[in-house]
Amino acid sequence: MSAVSGVYRRFAVKLAQHASWLLSGAQSPWAAAMRRELEYIDDDSAALRWALGCVAASYRARLADWLRFDARAWRRVATSAVMLLIGLTLLENAGGQTQPPRPRFDETVCDLPSVSPEVRPRLRCGTVSVPRDYENPSAGRFKLAVVIIKSEQQPSWPEPVVYINGGPGAPLTAYAAYQARTPYAPLRDLILVDQRGTGRSEPSICPDQERRLRDATFAIAATNTDEEMARRQAAYLACRDQAIGRGLDLKDFGTRVTVEDFESVRQALRVERWNVYGESYGTAVATTLVALHPNSVRSVVLDSIYPPDPVLPRSLIVSDAREAFFAHCARDKLCLTSFPDLAETYRDTLVRLDQNPLTVTLPPQMRHGEDRITITKSLFEVGLSNLLYDPNAYPALPRIIQSVHDGDAQGLAQELGTVLASQAAAAEAINRATQAAVECRDRPHFHGPLTVAASVLDRAQLYGVCDRWSEGGPPPLVPVGTRVPVLVLAGQFDPVTRPAASRHVAELIGGSARFVEFPLIGHNVRHFSACGTRIAADFIDHPAQTLDTSCTDRVAPIHFQPRHDTP
Amino acid sequence: MPRRPNNSRQTRALLATLLDHPHTWRHGYDLAKETDLKSGTLYPLLMRLSEQGLLESCWQEAKRPGLPPRHAYRLTASGLALAREQELAAIAAERAGALA
Repeated sequence: MSAVSGVYRRFAVKLAQHASWLLSGAQSPWAAAMRRELEYIDDDSAALRWALGCVAASYRARLADWLRFDARAWRRVATSAVMLLIGLTLLENAGGQTQPPRPRFDETVCDLPSVSPEVRPRLRCGTVSVPRDYENPSAGRFKLAVVIIKSEQQPSWPEPVVYINGGPGAPLTAYAAYQARTPYAPLRDLILVDQRGTGRSEPSICPDQERRLRDATFAIAATNTDEEMARRQAAYLACRDQAIGRGLDLKDFGTRVTVEDFESVRQALRVERWNVYGESYGTAVATTLVALHPNSVRSVVLDSIYPPDPVLPRSLIVSDAREAFFAHCARDKLCLTSFPDLAETYRDTLVRLDQNPLTVTLPPQMRHGEDRITITKSLFEVGLSNLLYDPNAYPALPRIIQSVHDGDAQGLAQELGTVLASQAAAAEAINRATQAAVECRDRPHFHGPLTVAASVLDRAQLYGVCDRWSEGGPPPLVPVGTRVPVLVLAGQFDPVTRPAASRHVAELIGGSARFVEFPLIGHNVRHFSACGTRIAADFIDHPAQTLDTSCTDRVAPIHFQPRHDTP
Repeated sequence: MPRRPNNSRQTRALLATLLDHPHTWRHGYDLAKETDLKSGTLYPLLMRLSEQGLLESCWQEAKRPGLPPRHAYRLTASGLALAREQELAAIAAERAGALA
């Protein structure tokens, strides 16, 4: 709120109080009625106009009394006249101000995939228009797609949940049907937003280049050569040039901007406070939102934190997660029997693939032109790190490693058809240009050089892209010392953040944060853990209460699949 | 007290708006927006219709926490009858205009 609009609001309140004072006796409920409507008027100029009308209405109602000419009535007339004059002057000036329009939710038809007839009546879809650049409101606007999923139980509890998904660059509203089936706090409404540059939200940074960006990134994973690094850089530069040619400013991205977008959506939906659920990259948005707009957040869940810089190299974090998984296998009787030294088998597999890559026929759902894929050392390393995200892949993971080690193309093809297909679909959905636009603003380390010893897991990230994409922007924030209740959820095998690093963030936040680690889970705890789902829901509904986290001690074991018979 | 006439343009607009959803409780600011009446015109009308028994009012709890209860209005049976009568008169007038 600007200083001028703040003056309008304060004066409007004064005028309304004055109007109430003018009315008394049987008419006092009308005075209260007019005054209270003010609280429901969001626009400050409109509020001032309303209050002026209230004074006028009160005058008319009291006219008969005033005609009796008693001294007190005349004093009231004189005071009212002065206040009206000041109010009218302010309103006159209001016309000359260029106030930014208050955010508004423009409802549209819900055109979303896979929505069942039962869920459809619970959905409200629309857009919220936001400034491209919050510091320069005249620089144009982007429309953001917003979906509200009403709670099955109506009336729903106040203070809805806003879910902030990961990526950056991943769509969200297209998955509204799934979100409706798995609510975060079932008694509350759920708000979904496609962050700028993702899903159905504007802008599209370089629509013609998206496939090229994806292919270039995949090529680094597949071959890990300097030529492919240079080719990817060229692809991103072409995207950047197209974006600039389309009138976009790549400084209009980053978590700090996204946070203001969420704040605009909150205001547009007339939500006073909301419960924020951030997942993966969404945790960076969530922590920054709490740091910058603490009064609009009732509680926050940080599921699988993606902390701000400085962060360890990705290859080290993945290596930790992988070793933790191998150690777990060594403690499991069935896994140990089938795969006596999984860690060593993995290392030996890398050596073998470096000498002899393995060619596998792809299952039909994974074919994009090519019907075969060559598993190189680097692709295997990247693929395995992706499998650590997903606990559904854990039972098959030792067997996948063994199949590749043994050169068992047929056995591996079966696994690819089941566990890898969903990973590939998720990777396809990410908007790579938006991912770069956000990460290059947020993460100084992508502007720096790669170490000589960097593995493909580091090289597949945005090194070599960001320094020519955009300059670094203001970073995401951690709300150190906030009073907002925070729940941090971390998975034991998370390949993005070590549980210890998540715990460190919780400690930085301070006394309002609680930390819960989930055994046998990777990235995105709630998505894969019924226990996590329940703990998060309890926390959202009762953030001040002691949490019952005992279900983390009763996690079902991984039912490892035995190795394939020798081919 | 003689009944004051209720056929001003503003009163007709208000009655017609209330008639659109006759059983729904409506709020002052929403009515002002729909009828394009300023609060200084709207509230004297609401007070008068209420005084004449054509309008009933109640206080409703806010749907969002932190906001105060809100005054809501709807037509009484006699208000409904008057609004319908005026609507029929308006339709008749339009037809007469069209035939002329």
